[in-house]
Amino acid sequence: MADRQRRATRRDDPAPPDDLEGSRDAVARRDDHDAIARLADELLPSLIAKLGATGLGEIEVREGDWKVRLRRPVDADGSPHGRRSTDRPSRAQPGHAGHGHAPAAVESRPRSGGSAAGPSAGSGAGPGRGLTPVGPGPATGSGEPGASGPGDESNRVVATSPAVGVFQPRREMTAGTRVRAGDRIGIVDVLGVPQEVVAPVDGVIGASYVQAGEAVEYGQELVRIELAGPRPIEPPAEAMAGAKGAEEA
Amino acid sequence: MFQKILIANRGEIALRVLRACRLLGVPAVVAYSEADRESLPVQLADEAICIGPADARRSYLSAPALISAAVVTGCDAIHPGYGFLSEDEGFAEVVKAHGLTFIGPPSQVLERFASKEGTRRLLAGHGLPTIPGSDGMLRDEVHALDEAERIGYPVLIKPSAGGGGKGMRMVRSPRELEAAMKVCRSEAKSAFGDDSLYLEKWIENNRHVEVQVVVDRYGHGVHLGDRDCSVQRRHQKIIEEAPTPALSPPARDDLAVRAIKAVVAAGYENLGTLEFLVDPDGNFYFIEINCRIQVEHPVTEMLTGIDMVVLQIRIAAGEPLGFSQADVAPRGHAIEFRINAEDAAHDFRPQTGVIEHYLAPGGPCVRMDSHLYAGYEIPPYYDSLLGKLIVWGPDRTTAIARSRAALDELLVDGVVTNIPIHRALLVNEQFLAGRFTTNLIDRLGSAAFLTAATATAVASAGVAASAGSAAPSGTAAPSGTTSPASPSANATAEVRR
Repeated sequence: MADRQRRATRRDDPAPPDDLEGSRDAVARRDDHDAIARLADELLPSLIAKLGATGLGEIEVREGDWKVRLRRPVDADGSPHGRRSTDRPSRAQPGHAGHGHAPAAVESRPRSGGSAAGPSAGSGAGPGRGLTPVGPGPATGSGEPGASGPGDESNRVVATSPAVGVFQPRREMTAGTRVRAGDRIGIVDVLGVPQEVVAPVDGVIGASYVQAGEAVEYGQELVRIELAGPRPIEPPAEAMAGAKGAEEA
Repeated sequence: MFQKILIANRGEIALRVLRACRLLGVPAVVAYSEADRESLPVQLADEAICIGPADARRSYLSAPALISAAVVTGCDAIHPGYGFLSEDEGFAEVVKAHGLTFIGPPSQVLERFASKEGTRRLLAGHGLPTIPGSDGMLRDEVHALDEAERIGYPVLIKPSAGGGGKGMRMVRSPRELEAAMKVCRSEAKSAFGDDSLYLEKWIENNRHVEVQVVVDRYGHGVHLGDRDCSVQRRHQKIIEEAPTPALSPPARDDLAVRAIKAVVAAGYENLGTLEFLVDPDGNFYFIEINCRIQVEHPVTEMLTGIDMVVLQIRIAAGEPLGFSQADVAPRGHAIEFRINAEDAAHDFRPQTGVIEHYLAPGGPCVRMDSHLYAGYEIPPYYDSLLGKLIVWGPDRTTAIARSRAALDELLVDGVVTNIPIHRALLVNEQFLAGRFTTNLIDRLGSAAFLTAATATAVASAGVAASAGSAAPSGTAAPSGTTSPASPSANATAEVRR
């Protein structure tokens, strides 16, 4: 419970991408407030009804200089109810893909080096499988994650994208940072609505497969999490070295 | 023309739209759910993007996922196909708000035609006959009896809210009406929390005939003729053909001309289909409009030679129609068979599985629109449509003969399909005579229908072999099911797609 509260406060810290508040004088502010009051009385009730009825995530209406945008937090699984309490994996189940949004995409490799039998890391449901991946940069081209040596696979878990959008890692989540399951390591911006990318397990941030600002698809592999192993894990030199960097590590 | 189009659908229609994009030289991105990763449209697409998990509410029905996918792939238009969000005016509006084009009617047009009741009133005002009904909601029994008397029995009692046959009863006399009203009120109350009822004339032995229209942004519209969709099971179309055998050529022309005049006057835009119930005397009643490309559009394409998806995209891009009614010259007869993964011998139960072998039929004027391939696994999450076989002939008899040959060639192994019911229909006397109504299959029950057809086939020739997979005679439905159509048969309005 305490964790949840902590994270609930934290989720507000990065400014949303389109946060728009400059400093303005008192007259402008008062005018704005009047306009807001008027729009709220006339427009909002019908907009809210509409939003509720359509199941849409967002409605925007423009009137003169004014623009009203109603948005409901689309949670990781795309369903419109609040996401605060339900979309994070429970800490009681580290590594468990009980994360509603991308069950198949969280690749948890068996620890006991059994991965030699597996053809490649991309063979499950990773985006490498799609014939024509869209958006991702070269680092996630098909088969690329599979390039890493079999030795790495045993400790490999990957945080995947909860939605289609633009990936923004949290600044402090650089390679080598220790994370616990459920920690937020970045967001995927879906039309201005941030969707959290969380660490699926306890571990250390490893290679990133996607650069900040890159478009990603649902389930795409974003950031590798090295499981806390017997030996300290060397962070790759460059985040974008991707699988290659990891191979050399 | 658009720079790039996002195809926000799956299965055969995603493939169909992809083909139209190819023809136009516009790159297309197929948006897919995790369950469709291995699907044919994804494999054939210029680009593909995973938008969410198998659950359609989180993928094909998720407006944010689809629009975000369009934005990040650099698309400037979204084609919704049919079903899913294809007629959702809210979606169309948000697509527009993001600077993208919704390939279909603009949101304000969708909104105008969103309510069935409102659309009926609107188009009735522009000269289309609608099913006679009570003047507003029924106040009490006396009012109901008066109204029923005025409309003429039999009448259908319908709840104002909801659908799906709940609270609906067909009654043939004042006494039945009095008894049924109480039941309907309580059913409607418990199902929809609203017990207001109204009456509609019951169209006995109706046929379902629709008119394809297309209107550009500048108010130029033409009709592309009619289609008969009377072969249904549980209000789902399974065979569509054109032209309808139910009406004479002048009557068909009259219907189509009135339909196009009404929608142009009412400000419709893009492709659309007006659905009508036709009674045995040839009277037609408008029931609803479908504001999208339809499953059965290839029937019209075969007759007119017009690529309707290309046309739809062009109109959405703001291009003028470019031709007039005189340029539309439908020729011959076409029949479409919906090939579904469902067991006709067992109540049309949907089937899933892996396609072991697939062979599309060929020959002159035979078209197969399908996303099947050997090894394809049919996901359990979506509808059961596997593809459509469309056959053309210079006349109905030739089209039927070609259809028989094509259905015999069509091979879909690994999953039970409804191909047997199509074969059964092609030996059914009523179908062959063109005298069928919407209850042709449901009246008997599908299993009995198959059995009866097999018997006919045995009696009439060695055609039995082609219906070999028909139900064993032991599964004949109880004879009691030959009752007249269920009350909801008037609800052809609820036939989706």
